[in-house]
Amino acid sequence: MVEIQNANPTVLDVSQLPSRSRKSATVRSGPDSKCDSILYPKRPWLSSTSSSSDEEDEYEEEPVDEQDIYDLIATISDPEHPTTLGQLSVVRLPDIHLAPPPTERLGPNSLVTVAVELTPTVNHCSLATVIGLAVRCRLEQTLPPNYRVDVTMKDGSHAQDDQVNKQLGDKERVAAALENDTLRKMLDDMLKTCSM
Amino acid sequence: MAPSATITPLPPFQPDLYTRAWSSTPHPTLPLIATAHEKSVTVFSLSTLSKHSSLTGGHARSVRSAAWQPSTSKGSPANRLRLVTASFDSTAGLWSYDESSSSSSTLEKEIKAAALSSDNEDEQEQEWEFNLVLEGHENEVKSLSFSPSGQYLATCSRDKTVWIWEDVGAEEDEYEWETVAVLSEHDGDVKCVAFAPHIEGRKQYAKMQSQDCLASASYDDTVRIWREDAADGGEWVCVSVLEGHGGTVWGLQWEGKPREKGKFPRLLTNSADATLRVWTLKEEEEDDDEEDTTTQQGGFKTGFGAIPNSMRRSLREEWECTAVLPKVHTREVYSAAWSAETGIVASTGSDGKIVLYQEDEDTKEWKVIATVEAAHGPYEINHITWCKRFDASAEKKGEEEMLVTTGDDGVVRPWEVRIA
Repeated sequence: MVEIQNANPTVLDVSQLPSRSRKSATVRSGPDSKCDSILYPKRPWLSSTSSSSDEEDEYEEEPVDEQDIYDLIATISDPEHPTTLGQLSVVRLPDIHLAPPPTERLGPNSLVTVAVELTPTVNHCSLATVIGLAVRCRLEQTLPPNYRVDVTMKDGSHAQDDQVNKQLGDKERVAAALENDTLRKMLDDMLKTCSM
Repeated sequence: MAPSATITPLPPFQPDLYTRAWSSTPHPTLPLIATAHEKSVTVFSLSTLSKHSSLTGGHARSVRSAAWQPSTSKGSPANRLRLVTASFDSTAGLWSYDESSSSSSTLEKEIKAAALSSDNEDEQEQEWEFNLVLEGHENEVKSLSFSPSGQYLATCSRDKTVWIWEDVGAEEDEYEWETVAVLSEHDGDVKCVAFAPHIEGRKQYAKMQSQDCLASASYDDTVRIWREDAADGGEWVCVSVLEGHGGTVWGLQWEGKPREKGKFPRLLTNSADATLRVWTLKEEEEDDDEEDTTTQQGGFKTGFGAIPNSMRRSLREEWECTAVLPKVHTREVYSAAWSAETGIVASTGSDGKIVLYQEDEDTKEWKVIATVEAAHGPYEINHITWCKRFDASAEKKGEEEMLVTTGDDGVVRPWEVRIA
C-alpha cells in the first residue's frame, strides 16, 4: 500500500462548491461517453446518425462556459481520499479559463482552448500527474473535438511544476500512459464518481 | 508578386479508421502508403486510394510509426515489401509481404485488384508475415529510420536512447539483426530519428567519417547529429547538439533536393514551441583542395590512413540555425515535410492547419504560400507527408506530388497542391 501523501486535507462540503444559481434538472451535457472508453475513445459526434446541424444548434444556443467545465471535473475522485477534486479545492472555478470566451465562438471547427490550473493538496504530491491526467482525459472525452485542453499545475503549487506540466501537455506520452493497465484502472476508479 | 499555391482536398483513403491515426509513410517507389493506428498498420494503395492490406497481431500496444526498408539492400528481392513498426509496447517489429512469383509490375496489378474487391480482406491480411521483433528499448518506441542503403535501422524511445541495428542477415536472405550502437546522450524521450539522404555528387565532407549521418529530436528540446567514426572502429558519436527550440522537438526532415556545390543537406525541425527551424552545417571552403588530395591518394580509406593522427580534423561539427520559418501555427507543430522535388515545406499540428512555405531563391527568405484552416475539421493532425500521385485523376502518375495528412479523426486525406 502506498503511503498517504496528505493525511488531513481540508475538505469542503458539497453545498459550499460553486454551482449555477438556477440549476435545471436537464443540464446540457456533452456527447455521450463512458468512463471505460478512455482507451481509443470513439467520437460519437462524428459517426452519430443524428443530424449534425442539431448538435451545432445546441452548442450555439448554450455554449460551454467555465462552470460547465468545473462541473465535469470537480466530481472526479481524489486518488487517495474518499472525496472529490472539487471538495479538496484541487479544482477551483477561478482557475478555469476558456479562450475565446463563450460569447465569441465562431463554429464547430474553430478552436476553443480550455486552460485548467490545478492546486495539489500538498506541494510534493507525487499523484499530481495522475490527477492532471484524469482531468485531461475527462475533458477530452466529454468535450467536442474542437476543444484543446491544457492542464497545468498552478504556479508554485507543486515542487516539480515544469516537469509535470510538460508531461501532461505531451500528447504522445498521455496516449501511451492510457495504455498502461495499472494507470488506466486508477483513472477509471477516479472517474467513476462522474455522472453521465 | 508573392508566390502562392492552392491546396485542394481529394477524397480520403477508404475505409476511415475511425480512431486516432498517428502517421502515414509512403513507400519509396511503389504506390503504397502505411498508416499506423491503434495496434496495427493499414497499407493503402495510392492508385485506388483504398486499403491494400493490413498488419495486425504483432504488437501489444499502439503502433506509433512505420518505415519501409529500401529494396536496394543487398539480397533483398525487389518484389518483397519490408516494413518495420515502432510500438508503444517497447519493441520494433519487422514484417514482410512476399510476392512469391512476381515482378514489381505484377505487384502493382495485384494491389489494384486487391483494393477493388473488399470482400477478400481476410485473405489479404495473411499476406503480411511478422518476421522478427527487435527488443531492447525499455519504453515506447516512437520512430524509426533506415539508412539510405537499408543496412542500418535507427530506433528511438521514451527511454532516452537511440539504438542502431544492422541487417546482418541480408546476404543470406535471413532475418537477423544486430545492435551496433546504443546512443544515450539525450536528457528526455527521443521523439524522432532520421538518417540523412545520400546525395549524388556530394562532396565527401569529412574524410574520416562514413557517409551515414543520423539526426535525433527530443523532449529535451534539442536535436543531436550522430556519425559513425570510421577511425574508432565504427563507433557512433554525437558530433553536434542543436539548441534553439523552446519546447519538445517533435520531428526532423532532411532536405532531399540537392544543394548547390554538393553541400550537405540542411535539416528542418518542428516543435511544440509552434515553430519550424532550418539548420545548416558550416562547411569549410578548403574542402576542394582536400578532395583533390584524397583522390590522388586513391580514395577514401587510403586518403584517411595517410593523414597523420595529429592533423585529423575533429569530428565536432558546427550546425547553425539559418532560418525560423514564418510563424503561422498557434499550437504544437507535430509534423513537417520537405519536398525533394520542389523544396516546398508543409507543416501541420494541434491547431489543425496545413501551412506551405517556400524559400526565395535569391533572398533565401521563407514565405508562406498557402494555409488551410481546420483541414481535418475540429481535429488535431498528427502527420503530414509528400508523396507521388498514382490515382486516376493525376495528370502525371508517379511524378506529380501530393500531400497526405493523418488525423485524430482516423482520416487519411490526400491533397492536391498547385503552385502558381
